[in-house]
Amino acid sequence: MENAAIFGWALLWILFWGALGGVVTPRIYARKDLEISQASFGGAVIGAALGPFSLVPLWIASPKITGRLIGIAIAIVIGIFVASFALADPDNLCVANGGFVISQLTNGIVIGIIYGLMALGLTLIFSILGVVSFAHGEFYMIGGMVTYFMSAVWLPGVSPLVAILASCIVTFVIGYIFERIFLRPMGSGEIERPTEYAILVTFGLAFFLQYFTQALTSAVPVKAQRFFPFPRVELPAESGTLLKMTPGNVTIFDAISVPNPRFTAAVLALIMLAALLWFLYRTWVGKALRAVSQDRQAAAVTGINPNSMNTLAFSMGAMLAGLSGASLVQVFSWLPQVGIPAAARSFVIIVLGGMGSLPGAFLGGLIVGLVEAAGTGCIPDATRAAAYIPAYSMVILTLVLLLKPTGLFGREL
Amino acid sequence: MNRKRTLFWSILALTILALVLTACAPQAETVGEAEPAAEEAAAAPTEAPAEESSDDMSMEPIKIGALAPLSAPGAVVGGEAMRDAMLIAADVLNARGGIMGRPVEVIIVDTEGLPERGTAVVERLINQDGVVGIGGGYHSSVGVAAKEVARDNGIPIVFAETWNDTITSVQYDEIFRIAPLSSEVSAVDVNFIQWLRDENGMKLDKVVILTENTDYGIPAAENTTALLDGAGIAAVTFSVDIGTQDFAGIVERVKAESPDMIVILATGEASYNFTQQAADAGIGPQDVPTMCNQVSLVSDAFWVNVPDGNNCFVRRIGLPQKLYNDVAQELVAEYSDRTGKDDIESYAMASYDSIMLIAQAIEDSGSTDPGDIIDALENINHMGALGPITFPINRSNTPEQAGVDPKWWHQFPDPAITIVQYQEAGQDAVDTAVVYPDVYQTDPPVIVGQE
Amino acid sequence: MNPTAIYRVAGSIAIVLLLAIPFASSELGGVGPLVLSSYFMHLAITAFFYAILASSWSLLAGYAGQFSFGHMAFMAIGGYTSGLIGKFFRFTTAPSELCTDIPLLGNWWLVILNIRRVGTIDESCLDMARAETLPAGTLIVFPPVWASIAMGLVMGATFGLLVGWLVLRLRSTYLALFTIGFSEILRASISAEIPITEGQSGLELVPLFPGGLLGFTSTSKIPPYYAMLLLFLLAMALMTWLAGSRFGLFIRAIREDEEAAAALGVNIVRYKVLVFVITSTLAAAAGALQGHYIGIITPNTLIILQMSLVIAMAVIGGLENIYAASVGAIVITFALELLRTSINIGPLHVDMTLWRLVFFGLLLMLTLRFQRNGLLFPILERISRGGVAEETVSIREESEEDWEEEVEVDQLEDSPSDSGEESAG
Repeated sequence: MENAAIFGWALLWILFWGALGGVVTPRIYARKDLEISQASFGGAVIGAALGPFSLVPLWIASPKITGRLIGIAIAIVIGIFVASFALADPDNLCVANGGFVISQLTNGIVIGIIYGLMALGLTLIFSILGVVSFAHGEFYMIGGMVTYFMSAVWLPGVSPLVAILASCIVTFVIGYIFERIFLRPMGSGEIERPTEYAILVTFGLAFFLQYFTQALTSAVPVKAQRFFPFPRVELPAESGTLLKMTPGNVTIFDAISVPNPRFTAAVLALIMLAALLWFLYRTWVGKALRAVSQDRQAAAVTGINPNSMNTLAFSMGAMLAGLSGASLVQVFSWLPQVGIPAAARSFVIIVLGGMGSLPGAFLGGLIVGLVEAAGTGCIPDATRAAAYIPAYSMVILTLVLLLKPTGLFGREL
Repeated sequence: MNRKRTLFWSILALTILALVLTACAPQAETVGEAEPAAEEAAAAPTEAPAEESSDDMSMEPIKIGALAPLSAPGAVVGGEAMRDAMLIAADVLNARGGIMGRPVEVIIVDTEGLPERGTAVVERLINQDGVVGIGGGYHSSVGVAAKEVARDNGIPIVFAETWNDTITSVQYDEIFRIAPLSSEVSAVDVNFIQWLRDENGMKLDKVVILTENTDYGIPAAENTTALLDGAGIAAVTFSVDIGTQDFAGIVERVKAESPDMIVILATGEASYNFTQQAADAGIGPQDVPTMCNQVSLVSDAFWVNVPDGNNCFVRRIGLPQKLYNDVAQELVAEYSDRTGKDDIESYAMASYDSIMLIAQAIEDSGSTDPGDIIDALENINHMGALGPITFPINRSNTPEQAGVDPKWWHQFPDPAITIVQYQEAGQDAVDTAVVYPDVYQTDPPVIVGQE
Repeated sequence: MNPTAIYRVAGSIAIVLLLAIPFASSELGGVGPLVLSSYFMHLAITAFFYAILASSWSLLAGYAGQFSFGHMAFMAIGGYTSGLIGKFFRFTTAPSELCTDIPLLGNWWLVILNIRRVGTIDESCLDMARAETLPAGTLIVFPPVWASIAMGLVMGATFGLLVGWLVLRLRSTYLALFTIGFSEILRASISAEIPITEGQSGLELVPLFPGGLLGFTSTSKIPPYYAMLLLFLLAMALMTWLAGSRFGLFIRAIREDEEAAAALGVNIVRYKVLVFVITSTLAAAAGALQGHYIGIITPNTLIILQMSLVIAMAVIGGLENIYAASVGAIVITFALELLRTSINIGPLHVDMTLWRLVFFGLLLMLTLRFQRNGLLFPILERISRGGVAEETVSIREESEEDWEEEVEVDQLEDSPSDSGEESAG
């Protein structure tokens, strides 16, 4: 980093005016008797964008803070951030090497799609039950474990699709049993603070499942073989500058390379996403689920049993986690502990996307994937870039919770 | 209401049952701690040492403690291998008629890879179980913490797999080590890399090191970088959190550095994850010469996790299997019987030796007094599975007198280190080619990615 | 007998017993060797440590309804602050010129050492200064342990204030996620900033009593035992007093209905922040003391499983009662330690090292499902009521009544309950 000071000052500028805008704007709007629900967050991003040049007009004119205004402001903030970074460190790979940037972006998007699928399960559970399942990572882990054991130990040579199906069934059944025994009584309305106790009981489930799996499988890391290896292709033949496929990798234009397991996992995730959307919007049960998430009482009046929708949502959420585990067990080495970081990331995604919002979860997944790719790719200090991987998404989480707890598409608190 | 109350009381009854079990624990513990997983044979000496041999074996057993990480966040795979080897040591000793005619009990405790747990369990071994010496030990951070407890209580520890230099360089009377020194291991790595360049005509200007941000990984990367620097080779280090799974971003950065060689110091599943993801991205061991981490020598797990890991160079501690002595061969035979593995991990072998060393020190001194055992250890000449073990730098020949670095204090001077290479996909670790050093070489190295 | 009196008598007996444990003689029947061993003392100290954490978490979660998952982070802040002060701060009678020197009163200087490179045994700037710039006879004094622990408390309180203030708007799920995020960021930073914190290898701390105390050596367990016990008793006394005061009333009012409490004139902001500050300070105190006692602290104390351990202790003991939570912590610490053994049920060999945690997780789930007040609280309650018919009085009102001494038992027994046992059946 040659001119670290440029970046430092830009950051300081953004933080200072952002904080000022966030604190002062709601007061001014309140004094003028205007709508203040967006004033804090809007003021913060508008202040961060152009500092006094945007804050002063905002305070004087005090227009209605719309989503578009906030969107423009966020774009400007990101622009300033990127520009100052590029100025400060012109030799950085993220600035100087186009192929590297595109590869990182592709990686971020591909992994983001899979994160999104997992978070989708969590947000589905939240939208129906109003509870965040802390055992989500353990379902992810079990999904992968079952897929591995099916395809490599119990029925060697079986089609990966069968193994994935088995993992879906197992996670669905565990989710079903757990919801019926432990969660349903919590939601029955007889208990004070059901949300908190429900969180605690999923916490207990996570603890139990993780150690139970460890006791059964020991702690040797395992990994499934590539589900669908690429054929060997080179276009144009021999040189492969346009497209080059090996069993483990595809390279396009000699620059963008996507490993096969990730590609397969992302495609599986997209197929599942389409299936899920079809289920939610085209089938009666799916519509009933959405109805319950919008208004429990009204849905109950129309003859939908909210309790069975709870069970269905929880088991489906668990299954989605299991499915993302199943598709990632060919990408990562698998241990009983793999669920912990994955679950933490899902929390970030659903908060970012807005708790209970399905499109939010998917978009949130993409954003988290991209931020992690940018973090690991661009931080100049090589020894720190990777060491902070667990923290990147957590920083997003805290920022969103502080600035805009409703996230991108969330309902008002 | 009624149902609920019944449930409550049954849960309560269960808890009380658990507590009653606890109350009996002091008697049950000795059985439990030396717990032999599935191997029933291993349980015999600890549970009923008197049954097998003569009457004087019914005397009070001599207790030796053993440290191993047996649950997360420790390295459980390593811990379980060490446990199995140390239980074999207990069996072998008892089959020989024990130490000084008394049965031997090896009490294995779980350090969980946490220093604070390490302190607690060593405390327990010494003050609760009354051990006269302690063997094993895997994580350096646990070793660093445990050595203090050992010193406070004057009980000797022979560390089997804690590489951190400071453990011996503080020069405690009680601390012995038969694991290699981290700095010496780095020296072997760098000598090998230089050898590749100088003797094999490999282009080698830049090396990427992937390490883990632990007490093992960071100093090892620093040492290696400094030594490479001395050899005129540039090194870039990437340090990762041990829980890291997704290396895609790091792999791209490594790729952008276009290194001539990659050295992986990260251990455990992080090492597998990185190697395979690098292979998927086209800079794996089959594209760029790669020194994989030594966990890759667990060949079953390696090939499951890194199917594209062929041509990995792996550093191997201890002699090549073809050169094993009788002790090692017997140990391997027994170990294979019990675990189904073809070869024994170097740290399992060292753990076995650490128990046997303490046993011999007790025999030599004819006493179970820890002070006498320490004296005997200083003068020991033990034929172990690792070879003849001595501790030449000790109180009668201090590092100052010998003119060597303090890290050699109570340190087994020459654990042999070789570099082996997988030259066929799916190859068993036993069959790997020894490529370095020349004295042990069986095959020339396969160097990939050269124009 | 009046339940309050029974609590008092039982409490006093318990305290006397705890104080007397180190004096137990080895001739004390079968338990002698176990009780006397320093292994037992170690377990007892650890048990008090967890008891402070669990009971302060129960004040935060059970009383104030703030289900924070970042309690271990405050514990770590206490430990690391104290450790870092011991690592980097020195007092000298002359400026070192090579380090960062801050003049203090008289001719004393506060010297902050330089951050050294990892993996090397570089000399610190003070060592070099001693050889070069420092005049002969300069005194170099380590910061006293009590002072660094006190700084740990201050940092714990500061972060408690900050987090408490930041989470004012957040409820239940959001609060849980925010505190997890806070804890994870802290853990990643401690792991990554190796030159400062030593990362995974752990920060070493000086012993609690470096020079020993009253004839006990620095490695004796007896002084740390009393130190931790004292902290435990102080924490319990403080929390008892708080829970019985207006503060306790207000935080429970906030828990039940924030808007209603605000409407009745409770200063929500002040009490919510205050409860965070107090519980974080207690956690930091426990962390600092435990850090000095163990001698090393690592970022692994922040992993989520450690937090779940504390939560499980509080829940199994009794989430809404600080005594039950602390007794739960003590019982579970001993139980988990002593259950590290394997058992043979016929031909079946069960390795309890792992299975005990499996059962523990199951117990936690079952407790939450069927006995939400915890397993120990009903027992404590039954003892205190001396066998008087229970169940008609809600658990929570019962526990409140212990604090509100002016309220008579009889009055409460007449009033039907609206929560807990009865309606949940």
